[in-house]
Amino acid sequence: MAGYRQTLAALVLAVSTGTGWAASQATAKQIERGQYLARAADCAACHTAEGGTPYAGGRAIETPFGKVYGTNITPDDEYGIGNYSADDFYHVLTQGELPDGTQLYPAMPYTSYHDIAREDSDAMYAYFMSLDGVHVPSPQTDLAWPYSMRWTLNFWNWMYAPDDDAGQRRAADNQRGRYLVDTLGHCGQCHTPRGRLGALKRDRHLQGAVIAGWQAPSLEAEALAARGWDDASLREFMREGRSRQGSMYSEMYPVFHHSTRYLDEDDLKAMSRYLLGENPPAAAHVAQTTAVDDSPGRQLYLNSCAGCHGADGEGAPHVASAMTSNTALRLDSPRNLVKIIHDGIDARAFTGYERVQAMPGFGDALSDPEIAKLATYLRRRWGGQQSVVEADDVAELTGASD
Amino acid sequence: MSTTDPIVSKPLHVTVNGIEQPVEDIPEQLMMLDYLNEYRNLTGTRFGCGIGVCRACTVIVDHEDGRSEEIRTCITGAHYFEGKSIRTVEGHATRDENGDVAKLSEVQQQFLDHFSFQCSYCAPGFVNAATVLVERLQREPVPRSQLEATISDALESHLCRCTGYVRYFRAVRAAVLATPGTTVEG
Ligand code: FES
Ligand code: FES
Repeated sequence: MAGYRQTLAALVLAVSTGTGWAASQATAKQIERGQYLARAADCAACHTAEGGTPYAGGRAIETPFGKVYGTNITPDDEYGIGNYSADDFYHVLTQGELPDGTQLYPAMPYTSYHDIAREDSDAMYAYFMSLDGVHVPSPQTDLAWPYSMRWTLNFWNWMYAPDDDAGQRRAADNQRGRYLVDTLGHCGQCHTPRGRLGALKRDRHLQGAVIAGWQAPSLEAEALAARGWDDASLREFMREGRSRQGSMYSEMYPVFHHSTRYLDEDDLKAMSRYLLGENPPAAAHVAQTTAVDDSPGRQLYLNSCAGCHGADGEGAPHVASAMTSNTALRLDSPRNLVKIIHDGIDARAFTGYERVQAMPGFGDALSDPEIAKLATYLRRRWGGQQSVVEADDVAELTGASD
Repeated sequence: MSTTDPIVSKPLHVTVNGIEQPVEDIPEQLMMLDYLNEYRNLTGTRFGCGIGVCRACTVIVDHEDGRSEEIRTCITGAHYFEGKSIRTVEGHATRDENGDVAKLSEVQQQFLDHFSFQCSYCAPGFVNAATVLVERLQREPVPRSQLEATISDALESHLCRCTGYVRYFRAVRAAVLATPGTTVEG
């Protein structure tokens, strides 16, 4: 009987015209589910400008080819998706093609969303249609030729869009985890390396990539464990935005803010299990030493960092991340560490009443050779990374020299 | 697991308010605020939050090229200041031969005239920040029309728990306008 009702509901959906479709046709439950899914898919990260009206568009997304803006996806007839039918919405979401045939730029992660289930798409549609329409135009994109010519994207899609069977071939035992990570969460859009033309290298799934100047670290089980992650800390990190491994910053902060903090514990477990596997490798422990350390980086650390992060790297609860268990120090590449030291991190709010103040950038106070020494010290002292960071690396990573 | 490094001390050479300080062995992990308060008995520099937010602990670093800069001493180690010259809130007024205050600086006087502070806990940070601002504007004047925005920019990170900032703001504007060469037409 329930199945019959669902079919009937689907039929009603199918015959309703786009303009006539209203939130009243969706159940409150469907809308609520749609909101959860829209959060899991992190639509807001791109379709909400910083401090702007939710989903009214406007966030600039840097791509290697130029700037693309998240569009207005509120149900405004002129500037939003007010005229979309549920079919249109599903088609845009999973194929990246507007009702009029216009191809979307692949900054819209439709290659990930390709496998979104129809009923999930319908629930998200119901949710977006239940919002107030916001009558503001989306900013124009600003891409370098030939990427500014949308027809080239048909070519791009032809080359790179995944085949329709991709979803079918997924591992059977943790479909949910994979759906949350790969499809809705579209983690691979940043964490999977891309080829020269911008397509994801599917054979290097979640192996880490450099995006917008930052290292999106590898999310492979071995790599996560080597940086100290286990199931509990991964879930805590997604749920709270911080854990003993560090805090969400840069491009990951909006992911936490708009998406992962809303996920329920079962889904977080499924994601963590999908990333770490059924038998997670043991989280690596980096040996700490107490020998007198007169390396040049030590005094730099005490001068500029220890006030908040602690003389022994222990951090300060509610204030500053510990260095002793910090994941950024354990990455092979010093990229993120150097950029953080140079540019600082903005103040952020986490779950509950947790807040952290801005970390100042030291690009002006410290020279490139000093930042290099400091980064080398931090990585050796607490990261188990022995390589020397050179001043030239700092200049290259921070796009400046002094 | 966290481990504790042994505390090592080494000599520190620093000039405070124009006076070279006696060279002493200072723990390499001592924060500058503690050095000023405990070793030099300069208690005007205040410990507020201790995590770099309130800026009550701000002092001025005077660079050799003539620039002055604000630094938070609660999160900056004493040895960061090795070889440097700084000013604290004790160093702004002109003093007579007995060391008593003879004349306040323009910024200090304007703060008093405008009744800018109440408990004054934040005042050292404001005095130093406003002084750095006036000195910067002397080097790089701004159009008069941009003065208000410039003041907000320069001081907005300083916290005060008692006042509504309005009197600080007015005092700083008065101090800037009373100092020749800080603004240009426009
Ligand atoms: S005490 Fe230094 S900023 Fe608050
Ligand atoms: S006057 Fe009391 S904190 Fe500012």
